[in-house]
Amino acid sequence: MSAIAAAPGRIEISGKIFNPFSQAFIREPRATWQMLLRDYPIAYHRDLSMWVVNSHELCGEMLKNNVFSPNFMEWEHAPPAKADADKNDYDRTFDKSLFTVSTRDHLKLRKLTMPAFSKPVMGKIDGKIRDLVLECFDAIGDADTFDVYEAIATKLPVRSIARMVGVPTNMEGFFHDFAVGVVLATRPNLSPKERDAAVATTLPGLAFFKEQIAQRRALPHPGDDFLGSLVGASDNGESLDDYEILSIILALITAGSDTATDLHTYAMLGLLKHPEQYAKLQQRPELMENAIIELLRHGSMGKFPFFRFATQDTEFAGQQIKKGQCILINLSAAWHDPAKYPDWDRLDIERRLDGNLVFGAGAHFCIGTYLVRVQGGLMISEFMKRYPKATLVNGDGQIDYDYKHHNARRITRLMVQTNKGA
Amino acid sequence: MKQWICVICGFIYEEANGMPDHGIAPGTRFEDLPEDWQCPECGSPKSAFEIYVG
Repeated sequence: MSAIAAAPGRIEISGKIFNPFSQAFIREPRATWQMLLRDYPIAYHRDLSMWVVNSHELCGEMLKNNVFSPNFMEWEHAPPAKADADKNDYDRTFDKSLFTVSTRDHLKLRKLTMPAFSKPVMGKIDGKIRDLVLECFDAIGDADTFDVYEAIATKLPVRSIARMVGVPTNMEGFFHDFAVGVVLATRPNLSPKERDAAVATTLPGLAFFKEQIAQRRALPHPGDDFLGSLVGASDNGESLDDYEILSIILALITAGSDTATDLHTYAMLGLLKHPEQYAKLQQRPELMENAIIELLRHGSMGKFPFFRFATQDTEFAGQQIKKGQCILINLSAAWHDPAKYPDWDRLDIERRLDGNLVFGAGAHFCIGTYLVRVQGGLMISEFMKRYPKATLVNGDGQIDYDYKHHNARRITRLMVQTNKGA
Repeated sequence: MKQWICVICGFIYEEANGMPDHGIAPGTRFEDLPEDWQCPECGSPKSAFEIYVG
């Protein structure tokens, strides 16, 4: 905290102190995070033109403070709002998204959609995606080595979400492009041209789902699956319109496909790098849910985790944040904050994780949290069953990264030795 | 005894079970939880909870 005490006024950093695009940072970010946590719990990044909040305490406070909105249109550099007549399906869906609507409408959306996302319902998803998990592992077969990224991470998340929302298997590529476009379209660190391109890739997917919704509405009963439960949802006479349902599908995609790619690679990297934890989880599978949260915390795959936008001039942690400014909530650093986790670098699947921010906090807490646990749990259980003695090839898994990924320290190769005959 | 669900994250508080790990005894009614009690999963306030019929 010395930087705050020594320098009244705005605390600033530059790309020399924190460059999330540097390959060295993407490969090994922990020293940078520790420096940010120690010297810059909050600072304005001159080169990124945004605030960066790093400490666990401040990240938690900001996530729970409604002055800081996830609505990208509050940003000082947001594109001008379009006239109603000029809006396409993406714009209309965006207007109804969980990140865009007012606090009151947000609560309505969460209430109406909660039944579709709740723990009991997600528990039933288990049976619906189990065959997809088995399919991935069957394709690996008796190989001596395989790549977790290629064999599992690129396939399971997008197939699971597609299954949930009723997309046929032969439209997997179509759906994948849609999912990436959806995730990309609201990133503040894109040029207007890049954003327009991302939005354009979402339009065919939105048209497809609009048609699906129309078909369900025409039925006497919309069905008990995920889409049917959204079409049929009602609470005190309120229900979801087409664009609200589309916004929920987009939220599911954001939460569950591109982001979940990293869940699988980082989970297996963490477990196989710590064989004693891998062995413990095999002996005590009841630790699975806790293990997944701890693996996400320890792996911290985010490069550019979350953004908020100040809706008014505000003093926060002694700093003056101006209306419209962008804030990077650097949860990856926060999950390694020694003030919250004195042994932050230790992977401990039995760790007490009370008050953790792994799925965020407050009104915008990750809507897909139970889906992540179900999908991750199924994958890890099957992995342990088939390859109980697996190790990382060369001890490091011959890791490679996609250094240009828009928000993650995306692992694109993780080689595993199955040791089947050992 | 009732069950209460957090409409933000889906966490279910079961009055019959309480949360002994968090110092809340089995049988503690939702109304009797402290006003500043927060959802242990997502940190939402008590006002984010509704009665849940499973």
